[in-house]
Amino acid sequence: MKRLLMVFILLFFTAGYAGEEEPDRLLREIDRNLNPESYESYRKIINIEPDGRKKEYVLFSLKKGVDKLIALFLAPASDKGRSTLRLGDNMWLYVPNVGKPIRITSLQSVIGGVFNNADILALDYSAEYKVEKLEIKGGEYLLHLKARNRSVAYDRIRLRAEKQRKIPVRIDCLTEKNMLIKTLNFKNIKDFTGGIVRPSVIETVSPLYKGYRSIMIFSKIKKRSVGDEVFTLTFMPRVDSLR
Amino acid sequence: MRLLIILTLGCAALAGMALRIYAEDDNEFKFEESEVEKKPFSIGGYVELFPSLYIADLKSALFRLKYYQNNPGSPYADAYLRLQPELTFEKGIFKAFARAYEAFGYSNRRWPFDLRLYEGYASLKPNQHVVIDAGKKTLKWGKGYAWNPVAFVDRPKNPDDPELAYEGYTVATADFIASFTGPLKTLSFTPVVVPVYKGINENFGGAGHWYFAGKLYLLFFDTDIDFLFFTGLENNYRLGIDVSRNITTNLEVHGEFAYLPGITKLSLGTTGMARKRKINAIAALGGIRYLTEIETTVIIEYYHNASGMSVSEMRSYYFLINEAYYTYRATLKELPFRAAEALTEGAYGRFTPMKNYLYLRVSQKEPFDILYFTPALTVMFNIDDLSFSLTPELLYTGVNNLELRFRYAFLWGGRNSEFGEKPADHRWDLRARYYF
Repeated sequence: MKRLLMVFILLFFTAGYAGEEEPDRLLREIDRNLNPESYESYRKIINIEPDGRKKEYVLFSLKKGVDKLIALFLAPASDKGRSTLRLGDNMWLYVPNVGKPIRITSLQSVIGGVFNNADILALDYSAEYKVEKLEIKGGEYLLHLKARNRSVAYDRIRLRAEKQRKIPVRIDCLTEKNMLIKTLNFKNIKDFTGGIVRPSVIETVSPLYKGYRSIMIFSKIKKRSVGDEVFTLTFMPRVDSLR
Repeated sequence: MRLLIILTLGCAALAGMALRIYAEDDNEFKFEESEVEKKPFSIGGYVELFPSLYIADLKSALFRLKYYQNNPGSPYADAYLRLQPELTFEKGIFKAFARAYEAFGYSNRRWPFDLRLYEGYASLKPNQHVVIDAGKKTLKWGKGYAWNPVAFVDRPKNPDDPELAYEGYTVATADFIASFTGPLKTLSFTPVVVPVYKGINENFGGAGHWYFAGKLYLLFFDTDIDFLFFTGLENNYRLGIDVSRNITTNLEVHGEFAYLPGITKLSLGTTGMARKRKINAIAALGGIRYLTEIETTVIIEYYHNASGMSVSEMRSYYFLINEAYYTYRATLKELPFRAAEALTEGAYGRFTPMKNYLYLRVSQKEPFDILYFTPALTVMFNIDDLSFSLTPELLYTGVNNLELRFRYAFLWGGRNSEFGEKPADHRWDLRARYYF
């Protein structure tokens, strides 16, 4: 009887442990389907105002591991040469005229519009969030994510992903009290070669910016690993040399 | 009339550029690979129109010093057309960069023209750990926004517009970078050599001498730390440290400290006699940058410069200028102004020549949901003589590559105070800048 009880307790805890692990593993899989762990990419961000006016930014980005990302502005001319660096929760902005990196925060936006710095310098979701609850609705997963610490830009995220390809379809960013801050819609799935098949367009709207939209379009994504020295303040003025 | 010509030419050029922006073809989801193709040679920079209007303080010492021969009256205006082109050539491990500055304008019945090379250097990057630069370059050391007491190898920046580029010195420098896992994430060392010869860095120090400086940077426990040194002529050396850290996601703190032993201070005593002394001084800065939930950014800095002028030293300087002015009015002799002009070229002519200052800047990003619109208010307060400048500004960047900034500056202070003796009590300026 005692042995049976032991087996039951063991099974109970093992089942519970496996139940917690599986959603987090699924989130990591979704991350990997979006990007390789270390990669380079070219992106265009378009801010669209209610009257249809647009402002476009083109960025070259390099990411390494779970917590290193650097991005260089290639356009427009007014922002060309600016670079932003993220090391975990630390973020800096380098402006050529100012000539030295200054610390910035995740909730600011170096470009204005609906995307903030946390969106532009996004790390893996699994690095910043843990899965609180996993639901399966029709052909989609619905993951309820909670920030691992208070330095993360959004307290909660609702992530809907295609069940078959495990690719995000829509992400709702929420406050701690579940107030919607913004929605990211993932569109236009594209084969970027090298086994990377993912949405090439992310469209963002926010109830806080009524009528405004921001769109992120990916042109190139490919696996690439560079030295850790690239992700330093000293290297920020020289990111262009890696293109 | 001439002012109108400058304004008309500038407006026409900027309007043409703006029209070209609106005429551009637009495709919502179009992103061609050709848009990111890297070319070895690139050109960029900006052109700007900068008209200003001043309500003069006709009795201020610095107005008298500046305009004793050619009084423009009050109000008066000036306008400048400025060009700051940048050229880059990059191939393999080699890069060359040049940034020039040209200003042409109309000011007080004159047509000043200024042309200079701000930066021009060649760079070698054999790998990601090492970069070697040689040529004219600004290093921009320090963490402060308005002042940088540890910027030993740079010209002082203008706290009234701290984000402006400025002229560098001719140096040879390198960066050695290493990265680690653990609490020490980054370590980099930047040695600098500054040669001074005829035609090279002439105003930096003694001709025929070489100066050496260095910066050791650490990212340690999520804190940026720099240790800095400078040494050269006659055992003259300087030591510095700066730090910067995000305490929370919306609060950054920074500080700088410089020890400046044996520096020469030239000032006026209470008798009006110039005196040259060697002093051991310190300069320090402490500041915060805070972002509120509604995206208001607040920058507060306190700056202390022990080698700065005291209230009585400034009073003697203003007295000298006023005496020179009265002599000139009576005799038309310009000679008494020569001494004042010589002092103004030195420490008296610095942007903030005194000992203690407070700087406050509050900017609100996109209030009332007006995208790309940022109003700001800047206050610079002289703690020693209680004078100040108050500068509200409006910035709009909603048109691609066009930046419009309008500022009004109100300067207040009693007689013999720093801001009370500036040439103007009120200033309005517009900066229309187009990036290309």
